[in-house]
Amino acid sequence: MPTTLRIALLAGLLALLSNLAVIGFIYGRTHDEAVASLHRQVTEQSKVLTDVYRSGGKKALDEAIDDTLAYADPQTAVALIGPDGRQLQGNLAETPSLEPMQEGYRSAVIRLRGQPSPHQAEIVLSRLPKENWLVSGRLVGADLAFRATLERSLLLALLVAGLLGLLCGVILAHYVAQRIGNIAAVANRISARDLSQRVPLSGAGDSFDRLGMQINAMLDRISMLMEELRLLTDSLAHDLRSPASRLHAAAHAAAEASDPAEQEELLASVVRNADVLIRILSTILEISRSEALTGRKQFAWFDVGELAAELTEMYDPVADEREVVLRLDKPERPVPLFGHRQLLAQALSNLVENALRYGAGGGEIDIRLRRTDKQIEIEVADRGPGIPPERRAEALRRFGRLDSSRSDEGAGLGLALAQSIAHLHEGELVLEDNRPGLLTRLRLPVDAAQAPR
Amino acid sequence: MGRKILLVEDDRETASYLAKGLGQEGHSVEQATNGQDGLFRATDGTFDLVILDRMLPVLDGISVLRALRAANIETPVLILSALASVGDRIEGLECGSDDYLVKPFSFAELLARVNALLRRRESRVGPADHRLTVGDLEIDPLSRSVKRAGKKLDLKPREYLLLEYFARNEGRVVTRTMLLEQVWDYHFDPGTNVIDVHVSRLRRKLDEGFEKPLLHTVRGAGYMLAA
Repeated sequence: MPTTLRIALLAGLLALLSNLAVIGFIYGRTHDEAVASLHRQVTEQSKVLTDVYRSGGKKALDEAIDDTLAYADPQTAVALIGPDGRQLQGNLAETPSLEPMQEGYRSAVIRLRGQPSPHQAEIVLSRLPKENWLVSGRLVGADLAFRATLERSLLLALLVAGLLGLLCGVILAHYVAQRIGNIAAVANRISARDLSQRVPLSGAGDSFDRLGMQINAMLDRISMLMEELRLLTDSLAHDLRSPASRLHAAAHAAAEASDPAEQEELLASVVRNADVLIRILSTILEISRSEALTGRKQFAWFDVGELAAELTEMYDPVADEREVVLRLDKPERPVPLFGHRQLLAQALSNLVENALRYGAGGGEIDIRLRRTDKQIEIEVADRGPGIPPERRAEALRRFGRLDSSRSDEGAGLGLALAQSIAHLHEGELVLEDNRPGLLTRLRLPVDAAQAPR
Repeated sequence: MGRKILLVEDDRETASYLAKGLGQEGHSVEQATNGQDGLFRATDGTFDLVILDRMLPVLDGISVLRALRAANIETPVLILSALASVGDRIEGLECGSDDYLVKPFSFAELLARVNALLRRRESRVGPADHRLTVGDLEIDPLSRSVKRAGKKLDLKPREYLLLEYFARNEGRVVTRTMLLEQVWDYHFDPGTNVIDVHVSRLRRKLDEGFEKPLLHTVRGAGYMLAA
């Protein structure tokens, strides 16, 4: 499986890189340590010998050189060189080319007595009186040998680390593939139209479980939407059926009727029922549009207070006719809102019509407009029978008409449309108890800081 | 008097039904069945009105309208559309159309709107006499005062707007949706009889106590103000 391979290679590569970094660090450190320690030894030896000469003269120095050569390790190099450039004492096999004769620490290639070939060495040259020179130093060969061993083991370690990384990668990839595979299998079964499937959870609460839970939550939501859609289609079909069959019957009867007056009446019924059908379909479309948020490009600033006053004035004669007192309570100052004026007018008019239709018996309807820092609230409260809490969600659903025997056309869509318009404005529609009666409240968030003055 | 109307509609059944109806009203109707042809004919500028379907083959109605307005052709345009949402209507109107009618519609509704548009064009071109009279009714739009048979009528602001709109369409049918759109500027369909209630209030103030009624109900279509 390519994914598994890729994960394995990635893990191996990462292990290799991290080990390379650690090993490189170790290598660098030991190298620096070795150089520093050599430098220390060489400088110290030279300093001791020159001190001996200063305090005890040439004789003491000769003895000290002899002692050094006798007791020190074979890497030590010591020589006293006369003004003519010849070695007066020491263990150099030949006088090295130390030109220019200059005091200080330096690297040089020298051959010790009894050794077949010259070696790299670190030496210190010190000038003594009478044009004598002291050469004191150490061969670095042994350190080099140690470093070579170190390098080999480090390289081996690197190789092992890489292989181990690759192995870890394979195990990891296998594990991931298995966990993901479970989820993929569920997705596959869902594609095969079984929405009831859920991702099994390991219970470890890890990322995979969280992914699984999220997928399950998504599936729950999809199931709910599907169920809603099914209900919607059913009720739409049901609601369209009665006006459609009335239309059918009236059209038939009109075609057969011989009396012109009767025919005209039947044709009027045809038109009426066709109108009902059209109204239901337009409202359904309007809801879908609002839910799809397509209306946002027509948003503009407007005064909700003015809109509420306009609609109150518009519905006042209707309320009057039904012997209902329609009151508006709104702030004196304008209440600016960035939104879709036409759609909000429709939402508010739906709420008022709903109150007039079902709550007119209570004799009063109150429209209240309030604004806080973060939102605008528009309430329409009636004194009618209200809606019990357990049925409010149903009332907000499309075609969620509570009294199914009522043939009040399209009325089941009013609250659903108002709600979808609230959603378009990132707000909500809530139904509450007006004790007694129904209180519908549009809550629309508003950014007061952006409102025009 | 008949007028020249260009009908751009791709649905043959609708087109022939409309052409026949408008022909019977005395208008001469030319037809185009796609947007490009419609645009081509409309650009000659001799039409009194263009009736434009929104969904057309080759070039859609909104593009035709934009092209017309861009070419400074100010012929009134009535858009017909199956797109019924409030947003679609507003978009249609904002593109420079003079009216927007949602399919399906009754022929009475279309005719009322066609007549209103033709009338508007006439009054735009005609002399600027701002005083409106219908029989013994006198309306002064400047002072917003209304008199009938010399007696001042006390109207609320909205009632006045209603009456003024009726008077500007004297002798022509005005539908409920036209009133809602023109007098209230709302583009949705209220479920209740709210418009009828307003009209009947106006009628009470206008006609009560006078022998001859001015505000008539036209069955199946709407209302008409006529002496």
